[in-house]
Amino acid sequence: MLWKPLHLVPAGTKFDFLGKRRFALIASTAVNIISLLAVFFIGLNFGIDFKGGIAIQVRAKEGPAHLDNLRSVVGGLGVGEVSLQEFGDPTTALIRIQRQDGGPQCVAGAQRIMQTRAGEGWQVKPGAPETGDVEFTAPRPLDGANWRDAVSRVGLTILDRQLPRGNTPTAKVEMTHEQRAEWCQQVAIKLVEDAIEAKYDLRGTESVGPKIGDELMHGGILAALATMAAIVIYVWIRYEWQFGVGALIAMLHDLITTLGIFVLFQLDFSLTALAAVLTIAGYSINDKVVIFDRVRENMRRYKKMGLIELLNFSINEALARTLMTSVTVFVAVLSLVLFAGPVLYSFSVAMLWGVVVGTYSSIWIACAGLVYLNLRPEQFRREDEKAEKAKA
Amino acid sequence: MLNLPRWQTIGIITVTALAVLFALPNLLPSRVLDHLPGWYAQSRMNLGLDLRGGAHFLLEADLRSLMTERLTNLSDSVRSELRKQQVAYKDVNVEGGRNVVITLRDEAQRSKALEAIRAVDPTIAISGSGDLIRLAYSDQEVAKKKKEVIDQSIEILRRRVDETGTIEPTIVRQGDERILLQVPGIKDTTDLKRKINQTAKLTFHLVNEDVAATGQNIPANLPATTSLVPTREGMQELRRTNAKAWEDIQNANPRMTPDQICRRFQPQCLPVLKRVVVGGEDLDDAKSTFEQQQGGRPIISFTFNSAGGRAFCNATRANIGKRLAIQLDGEIISAPVVQSAICGGSGIITGSFTTQQTQEQALLLRSGALPATLSIIQESTVGADLGADAIRSGTTAALVGTAMVALFMFIAYGPLFGGFANLAMLVNLLLVIAGMSILGASLTLPGIAGLVLTVGMSVDSNVLIYERVREEKALGRSAFSSIATGYERAMSAIIDANLTALIAGVLLFGFGSGPIRGFATALTLGLLTHLFTATVFTRMLLSTWVRWRRPTEIVI
Repeated sequence: MLWKPLHLVPAGTKFDFLGKRRFALIASTAVNIISLLAVFFIGLNFGIDFKGGIAIQVRAKEGPAHLDNLRSVVGGLGVGEVSLQEFGDPTTALIRIQRQDGGPQCVAGAQRIMQTRAGEGWQVKPGAPETGDVEFTAPRPLDGANWRDAVSRVGLTILDRQLPRGNTPTAKVEMTHEQRAEWCQQVAIKLVEDAIEAKYDLRGTESVGPKIGDELMHGGILAALATMAAIVIYVWIRYEWQFGVGALIAMLHDLITTLGIFVLFQLDFSLTALAAVLTIAGYSINDKVVIFDRVRENMRRYKKMGLIELLNFSINEALARTLMTSVTVFVAVLSLVLFAGPVLYSFSVAMLWGVVVGTYSSIWIACAGLVYLNLRPEQFRREDEKAEKAKA
Repeated sequence: MLNLPRWQTIGIITVTALAVLFALPNLLPSRVLDHLPGWYAQSRMNLGLDLRGGAHFLLEADLRSLMTERLTNLSDSVRSELRKQQVAYKDVNVEGGRNVVITLRDEAQRSKALEAIRAVDPTIAISGSGDLIRLAYSDQEVAKKKKEVIDQSIEILRRRVDETGTIEPTIVRQGDERILLQVPGIKDTTDLKRKINQTAKLTFHLVNEDVAATGQNIPANLPATTSLVPTREGMQELRRTNAKAWEDIQNANPRMTPDQICRRFQPQCLPVLKRVVVGGEDLDDAKSTFEQQQGGRPIISFTFNSAGGRAFCNATRANIGKRLAIQLDGEIISAPVVQSAICGGSGIITGSFTTQQTQEQALLLRSGALPATLSIIQESTVGADLGADAIRSGTTAALVGTAMVALFMFIAYGPLFGGFANLAMLVNLLLVIAGMSILGASLTLPGIAGLVLTVGMSVDSNVLIYERVREEKALGRSAFSSIATGYERAMSAIIDANLTALIAGVLLFGFGSGPIRGFATALTLGLLTHLFTATVFTRMLLSTWVRWRRPTEIVI
């Protein structure tokens, strides 16, 4: 043998975990209430996946990125709220711009783009106020193909039937207000592009229009609810109802505090972050199930033992595994936090917290919950007797 | 309990070997891959756009205004038909983007009116009573039309985006009215958007039969009214045989005219009169159908609007027996001989076509402009260097994570049992990679996160087993018995723990979109394969070892 296995957790520990359950209950309740208040009053920092909007990653062509300078340049474009952050390293910045609503300043922006990209004489004006139409005026009459080419500079498509026959100096692109709002995301990206192109490389852009944002939000909420419901139902079927309720409360505890972490550090709550939250739900239950398994086994084996004593005994028995698994997952996630780069940062930090809080809640929320939910070892005794009678 | 039947052992080894085989192309450096057969070397995981760089668009077709427009056309036709049949009406209106409502002056003329309507469109659904007639496209018709529009848009996009056939865009329908367009490896989306917006230029020209010209002998003195245009086959032939020329043509700036291409590269060309007989803007529709007589050959039928119909009628009447060239984007796609004057506003193109060819050509004829406005409702572009950064950081995270977990297992359970656990973890990882390669799933950055998590979680079952074995050993069981009992007792917790995590994974996959999908794919696959490594692979390792060494005491 090259080296001896190291018993990181000594065998036969006898910690009185549940003796501290009141303290844990008070602390957890407080943390959860604070998290909920934070979510409602400060709010999650929703990423553009959900809120809609634009994110542009830029890298300075020379030297570090000047955030203040970028902020004033982009902020002056009339694209609404702009936020900036360093992204990964000092030369790179992430510019986030609020979702564009398609108001008149967007049309004015489109005109600026046309004048920069297609020539001075261009004019862009909004059409009748009850529609989202946009009217383009060219410096000289254009035919269909040239019109299409021209308006595509501001990310629009124009159809033949929207153009009069032959060469015309003006063209109206018909849109609804909603379509114009979607298009205005494109306009904003191009405005930023034109404004900072000289000093920065655009590494990546992302834009989410209003429609998709709302859909993703609904989908996300639905996914979260369905996941929680399915897991709880599984535990419910597999174990006694007290286990199901205990697991549910512990899982909610983990999710709510995770949301609290998102608010506290103002982590970007994006689709990936949502994936982290749902994975935490799965992981949290995973951890509880292993301890529950022990509890049930011991209930059958030690029929005379009191509930608290029995729970403490089971937790101690499973302690080595609980900690070992938590540590392996923690280590894996830690390497994501450290090395996987800024895109996965929120995801990884949330997961890291999920691992820690999931381990805590297995003991002090899920098992302590069983005490408050009046799980009685006698239930098993009666069931087992019934089963034996049935056999006989 | 620990022992496995021989066939199971063989099965496990086979699965593991296959996993290694399928996962290998993803792991080998390209220098080695170059020496392997192509089909094997290419069966790798696709890299997602966030890793390889490229553009992603979600486009939404504006089908509502398209339907309104169609209804407006219908109401126009109905109005003129009613007038023709001398049916008096108060009003013909498009209502709510779904119906055309006709109010008659005289209820008695209802049946006559209905007849007129059926003459315009025999499939339209008719309702209402008395002097009121309500027309609507049936839900089926609307659904069919929507599908047509999206299919056609997809085809046009493919043609526009992938002119050269080398950039492998992904263009798929998403739901009822959306198209997902992913183009790897491009950064400048302005150019792409311009391409999307381009319209195929379709024109009909008469062939100048007085000038005999094929590719090889270009007449020196072509009349000023005539120019040379390459045929589609000619261009395809050129592309096959002279790649350099093809590239020159694609990259030429300003673009070469068809005439220049003919003179310089001499593909098969036809001399056509420059005057445009009818333009594509006058073409209403083109369909692939079958001839009524003569054995039902596949043909292409097309319809013009009224202006186009008139022009076409005059031109065909005057040129019976001559060829009419159909020119699309500077190539002649077909040059049928005019058999008779075509004056009904519609005509057919015959030839020795296969059904597939007629369908393609009809599509090309239709594929002038996009049938509906496409708005970009989601866009993301990732520069190639950003993708490379993502690959680098993702790989680092995965390697470090795996190494740390492995190291930890070695420390905690010793070289032997730690080694077993790490071997199982490695096989699990290979299985996931193999699974993703076989499924053709894309590896994204969140997918890498899923893999790393899989690594962290997949040693869990070994931990469960080993801790149980330690307990059984402490109770004074023999080496063999503590391994067997430990394994058996840990099983129920392993299954429960995996199933709950699997539920989360599957639901994530089902509801999730975009980045969540990639993550959920890796995680779910990881959990599934983990069930294999935990229940049978580890068991095989343990039982083989126990039978081989027959240990009296175990160090765990």
